[in-house]
Amino acid sequence: MTELGGLRLEHPVLNASGTLDALAAHAVLGDATLGCAAHVTKTITPEPRAGNAAPRIAEVPGGMINSIGLPGPGLVRFCSEVLPATAAVVDVPIVVSVGGFSHDDYVAQAERLDAEPHVAALELNLSCPNVKSGCISIGTDRRETEAVTEQVRARTSKPLLVKLSPSVADVAELARAAEAGGADALTLTKTARGMVLNRWTGTPLLGAGTGGVSGPALRPQALAAVATARAAVAIAIVGLGGIETADDARDYLAAGATAVAVGTAIFRDPRAPRRVRDGLSGI
Amino acid sequence: MKEPVGVAVRRTCAVGSYAVVELDGDLEVGPPGTFAMVRDPTGAAFLPRPVGLFRRPDGTPAFLVDPAHGVGALAGAATLEVLTPLGRGFDLTGADAATTLIVGGGIGATVFFGLPAALGAPVRVVAGFREDRQAPALDLIEPAASRAVAIAPQLVTDLVDLTGVELVLASGPAPMVRAVAALAAAAGVPCQVALEAPMACGFGACYGCAVELDGTWQRLCIEGPVVAAERLA
Repeated sequence: MTELGGLRLEHPVLNASGTLDALAAHAVLGDATLGCAAHVTKTITPEPRAGNAAPRIAEVPGGMINSIGLPGPGLVRFCSEVLPATAAVVDVPIVVSVGGFSHDDYVAQAERLDAEPHVAALELNLSCPNVKSGCISIGTDRRETEAVTEQVRARTSKPLLVKLSPSVADVAELARAAEAGGADALTLTKTARGMVLNRWTGTPLLGAGTGGVSGPALRPQALAAVATARAAVAIAIVGLGGIETADDARDYLAAGATAVAVGTAIFRDPRAPRRVRDGLSGI
Repeated sequence: MKEPVGVAVRRTCAVGSYAVVELDGDLEVGPPGTFAMVRDPTGAAFLPRPVGLFRRPDGTPAFLVDPAHGVGALAGAATLEVLTPLGRGFDLTGADAATTLIVGGGIGATVFFGLPAALGAPVRVVAGFREDRQAPALDLIEPAASRAVAIAPQLVTDLVDLTGVELVLASGPAPMVRAVAALAAAAGVPCQVALEAPMACGFGACYGCAVELDGTWQRLCIEGPVVAAERLA
């Protein structure tokens, strides 16, 4: 049993937000959660979003880069259609990742989701680096992070996770801000801002220009972020970034994480979360 | 749970400038137009790659790669992890080989290899390639009732004659399938197109394979890879 900021989990392995669509995985693979102890949704936003122009992904040494751009149905259709359908195929706690472009976006969504019995916890995505007008400004600023966390905290009684970016000057400062704002746990970390070029043209390969780097290439940076935050705050930490094996997960636990999340490794191999879980439990 | 299956590479053989990678093991090969995600667990590539699986005449599962490009590295693997079958293939309900025209380009022709078997008759093929040494890939569409080949700079659309055609199945680079779709639309002939996009997972998780369908960005691995041509934005 793992206790994560008020969330009771069967084991310490989750999926990273944006790396597993429970409904698609259920339909295509016959398995909605891939063995994760909680299902973390793709980030939802107040209004429907089409996402960024293609190409959205590219392989990089030791991982990949993406600029997906938060495509999604918007809060209303998420609550009326996606959430009930997800709850019908997911038999573990559902953590809803919430994204936005203003404090009001976060507060309004948190308030609405607080009323949903299918929602076990909220994770604030303050760190998506892909939305030009968006959340990076909140997630990179101590005062903004504390303020939005505090406002959401006041609107929900559900466990509240705050996900932070590695592409900041001082992770400890932001971790303390989220804790001070009332977060029950931190999720560390998110993709790191990066870029790849088309070598024929010298122009950005991804439709959105820049993107987020994930996979093993991110692991040392994410591990350092976890260790830094561990030294700065007392609340639980979900560690992620390039976790492929149980040994990778043990690194994060040793650095101070309470639980871990598997992300990009799911794309390579949908058995990855179970492999990590079984390896951690000694199976 | 559907999961990747580890298989040995039986052999790799050249077909023109392409390579056919034959696999050991009892893999499920989906209907024409569906795909598989294939990864070399010891290779340099981080992500799996989408390929079109087909069966050799002796039943051996195989796929076609261009050794000169990205996916080609798979041709050198000893073992591969294969997640199959994935996606939606061609809707062949009521299709008659005699009135169906297959129009393809380059490596995209790979989705046609299973069509003669699926339709139960030889098929009519029009195909385009960048170089003539790629054209032998058409030998894998067996049996073919007729073949017409355009080598760049000739356009495949120059060879398309829709007289008596009741269904067009197209596959290849986006500009080509769009041009074919436009010809079919102008002639009032139903057309299905197999599209290509970079993919990380193949099962709807990554949202990386977005294509514009019905005027918005959608996941090709879930909506396709084969879609009705009228859905192209």
